[in-house]
Amino acid sequence: MKNALWKNIFQGWNRQESEAILTLKQVPVFKGFTDKEFQELEKLFHRRTYDVGEFIFKNRAPGEGMYIIMNGAVKITVGTRAENEKILAELSSGNFFGELALFDDEPRSANAIATVQSELLGFFTADLMMLNDRNPQLGNKILFNLGSVIGERLRQTNQLLFEEKSE
Amino acid sequence: MNQESESTLDNLTYLYRIYRLIVGLLSAGFVWIIWPYISNVVLILVFAFLFTTLLLKSVDGLERRINSRGLSVLIVTVGLLTGIGIFIGSFISKLSQQAIDFSNRIGQDTLTTEFNKLGQKFTALVPGGLAAGSGDFSSTLSSFVQMVVENLAGMAGALGGFLLNTAMILIFTIILLAEYHNFKKLLVSFFSNKYFEIGLTLVHNIEKSVSSYLRGQFLAAASVAVMSFAGLTILNLFGANLTLTVFIGIIAGLANLIPLVGPFVGMVPAILIAFMNNIGSDAAMAHQLFGVIPSPFYVLDIVVMFIIVQQIEGNLITPTLVGKSVGIHPMMVMISLIIGGTLMGPLGMLFAVPATGILKVIAQEMMFVRRNAHLL
Repeated sequence: MKNALWKNIFQGWNRQESEAILTLKQVPVFKGFTDKEFQELEKLFHRRTYDVGEFIFKNRAPGEGMYIIMNGAVKITVGTRAENEKILAELSSGNFFGELALFDDEPRSANAIATVQSELLGFFTADLMMLNDRNPQLGNKILFNLGSVIGERLRQTNQLLFEEKSE
Repeated sequence: MNQESESTLDNLTYLYRIYRLIVGLLSAGFVWIIWPYISNVVLILVFAFLFTTLLLKSVDGLERRINSRGLSVLIVTVGLLTGIGIFIGSFISKLSQQAIDFSNRIGQDTLTTEFNKLGQKFTALVPGGLAAGSGDFSSTLSSFVQMVVENLAGMAGALGGFLLNTAMILIFTIILLAEYHNFKKLLVSFFSNKYFEIGLTLVHNIEKSVSSYLRGQFLAAASVAVMSFAGLTILNLFGANLTLTVFIGIIAGLANLIPLVGPFVGMVPAILIAFMNNIGSDAAMAHQLFGVIPSPFYVLDIVVMFIIVQQIEGNLITPTLVGKSVGIHPMMVMISLIIGGTLMGPLGMLFAVPATGILKVIAQEMMFVRRNAHLL
């Protein structure tokens, strides 16, 4: 028997998590977030599709925020697309890039190009500021986690520099 | 060969520019044709957007505390409507109390005598040719009342239209407040990948510019309210016998948001109260501004006081406060007000500054895109 009350109470119990939330759960920046917080976050992300070879952003272009790869692959390069192109990193689903743009007004320091048709989630400074206004607890959590990720990367870079100098 | 391909490319660019010009002209023509049918809806949406921008901070702030967008919108809207209701209700009740006192104090004969005295005073001031046509002041007033009654049907229609538009603005404001962030996201999604980040910045900057403008306008309105209240209190020190000064100040401040018409709307209740409180008083009837210019019932004093307030607000406060908040030079604010007023009257003046602010943001972003086209 269908009962509207029971239907209402149990609404959402067997809800499938969206692809965007499943992707966000893989990203260290959103480590330790509750399901409710992920639902809140999902509303802030911009879903974009890029074709093969399409630039997500170019080196020295103004940066507004970070991207998370939902499906597909992206290469991070410096130099032009011609023979002097140097690939810095090849990223796939669940990876993220461009997060430094959330903190400063400096231009992008590399190119980001889709190597296959890719679906990305974009998260931008304006959205982060708005989140800080509406839900500062969640905004602070993101900032704290981003700080941890950037700190970890800095530590790795220092280690690499140290090893380079030792050799 | 190279030269040939370059000239073909030049021709194509030229053709593309002509094509864009034609498309632009056709679009402008289309908007021109359908404008009479959509202007009302556009106006409702613009007002709803302005109210949304104004209330957004409160709704976001409340949402942060109670964790429910819908409830926040409801509380803010109901709170605002209650505040407006209480203000209007208490103003009307105080005004009607004033009217009852007034009618108890003054009989019909006294009123006619006072009107005639006032009429004679004005007739004496007006040059001969004009005065000849003015006739009996009380009969002129009666014919004016008759004319108002005859036009009552038209006024009721206009009032109905106004109430409908107000209700529509309220509904659109509630929807926009509840779905504001989703609508913004939807708007940004229309930008192509190449211009996506620029588009996001553009929308964000326009939003910032409009909300700063509104904040500036409301600060200017608050300053008019305070200055009007101070001015009326000073007039009371000189025996103007004005009551409801706080209400009159608030009404003057709110009316100030509507350019041109606003300042006069602010004066009306003050003059009405001065008339009601001082009728029958020979001293008030014989009052002279600066001891020279006849100003029965302090009417001229009130007009001069409001003109001073308007001058301070118009030449000092608004250009500095509003211009600063939108980032436009005070001279540009005045030019945009003149252009807005010429194109659309008071309504044009109301939207002139935020429209200039939006155009400035768009122009800045377009210049930025042109300069950095190779990076996009």
